[in-house]
Amino acid sequence: MNSFMLYSILNTAFVLLVSPLFISLIKKTKAYTQGRRGPSLFQTYYLIVKLMKKEVIYSSNSSIIMRITPYLNITFMLAASLFVPLLFIPASSPGIGNIFLFLYLLVAAKFFMALAGLDAGSTFGGMGSSREMTLSAVIEPVVIIVFATLAFVFRTMNMHEMFTQSLGTSILVNPPVLLISLSLFIILIVETSRIPVDNPETHLELTMVHEAMILELSGSNLALMELSHAIKQTLLMGLLINILMPWGLAREPGLVNIGVAAAMFIMKGVILAIIVGLFESSVAKMRLFRLPALFMQAFFLAFVTILFELLNRL
Amino acid sequence: MISVQYELTRILFVLVLCSAALLITQRSLTSLFSIYAVQSLLLSFVALLLFWKTGVYALLFIAGLTILTKVVVIPYVLRKVQKDIYTKRDLEFSYLSPVSSILISTALIFVVYKSFAHFRFGLSQDNVFFMGAVIGVSLLFIGMLIIFSRKQMITKIIGYLTMENGVLLFSLFIAELPFIIEVLIILDLIILILLSAILAFGIDSTSTMKEFHRKLDPFSLWFKKQQK
Repeated sequence: MNSFMLYSILNTAFVLLVSPLFISLIKKTKAYTQGRRGPSLFQTYYLIVKLMKKEVIYSSNSSIIMRITPYLNITFMLAASLFVPLLFIPASSPGIGNIFLFLYLLVAAKFFMALAGLDAGSTFGGMGSSREMTLSAVIEPVVIIVFATLAFVFRTMNMHEMFTQSLGTSILVNPPVLLISLSLFIILIVETSRIPVDNPETHLELTMVHEAMILELSGSNLALMELSHAIKQTLLMGLLINILMPWGLAREPGLVNIGVAAAMFIMKGVILAIIVGLFESSVAKMRLFRLPALFMQAFFLAFVTILFELLNRL
Repeated sequence: MISVQYELTRILFVLVLCSAALLITQRSLTSLFSIYAVQSLLLSFVALLLFWKTGVYALLFIAGLTILTKVVVIPYVLRKVQKDIYTKRDLEFSYLSPVSSILISTALIFVVYKSFAHFRFGLSQDNVFFMGAVIGVSLLFIGMLIIFSRKQMITKIIGYLTMENGVLLFSLFIAELPFIIEVLIILDLIILILLSAILAFGIDSTSTMKEFHRKLDPFSLWFKKQQK
């Protein structure tokens, strides 16, 4: 139990610490590709600190949902962060690491965010929630299939065991992992509302999805929402990194191990964030009705992964 | 016992399937040509890996020929044609939207896998051969799907070329076509590309039909001169 306590404190602290970094890094990469210098790498930290100090204002129409959503969101995300070990893999404990529970935590956060969008009574919020739920209805089946494929390939439902296994093998022996990580990359892009799906920088009524829902939030509530969005991104990135290139992740807790794992994760995360930034700069935003084609690509790859795994087992 | 060549081949198979998925959904013509070139390059790597494993020189020639024709010459000709017909994107799909084509192609791959599973024991020792056969035939069907669902001539050509890639993959792993037949297929392919490029002028660029006739005119004058 003691080791698990250590794990939950260290992992949560590490996730909180690095999440804003990746957000700013993606912004920085996009700025460089556009020929700008971009904000400093610590900008997201400053933003969160600044918002924390500000006063919270509620619309007169809003109910309790608006007040509890930011706290629920950050709680769901921090709970989900226990499922993706970034430093070392703890001894298994019941319930923690179940891949479907992880999915449900992410979806619950999304659900409350959509409710909060409706709650304030502004038209933008309702529009954003409606779009988010429409997209979710299409992407969720694909996400479930991709996660089921992960469970099928690694023959376990526990994410910690998956990562232990992927630590032991390499892509060379396990080509399905390459396919599934492409699906996971598409999910990372879709779930963190990045460019072909949604533009995180715009406040234009025609295009915003995620931003529209949090438009009515202010002060510390907004800070918590931004932070939970950053954590969600780090978790999905961590999942992809731990599946595709888990080198450096420690099996046993130890001072040196954890130091190495932290440095390695930050390095790999930086590379992935730069890739995401470049990807975002190189594609145009898709029309809403063309998005299913992108999701179906993830579905296709997941399906082919299952087939590959079947062939591998012959 | 794991052989490096076969493991690398499996990774290449993965990439070939990804390229097939992109060929179904992409709309921009230039990226379609590039994806086709990359797919052919991947196939030539597969041939090279097989050569590394078995040492049959015909495979080396096939790889070289594939790179020369399908990675360099054919995409070059297609790009030239595309420049002349003034279209950048193929936006129209008949019968099937890209989403349903992808769903159907997953079903097709599964059907091919199921039907091949019956006689896989007769095939060979390593499952990489079975995999190559399944993916080759699936690629052939995906090519047919592209021909079926696209409207423009030039994207139909891409579909045909994808089918041919499927045949090449299949023949690499199962049939072992004699080298001379591979050469003939590729010769056929080049002639076909030239012919269909001429057709594409007429079909895809209705606005430049006059342009097309004007371009043909010098030839007819030349022919008449010869007849005299």
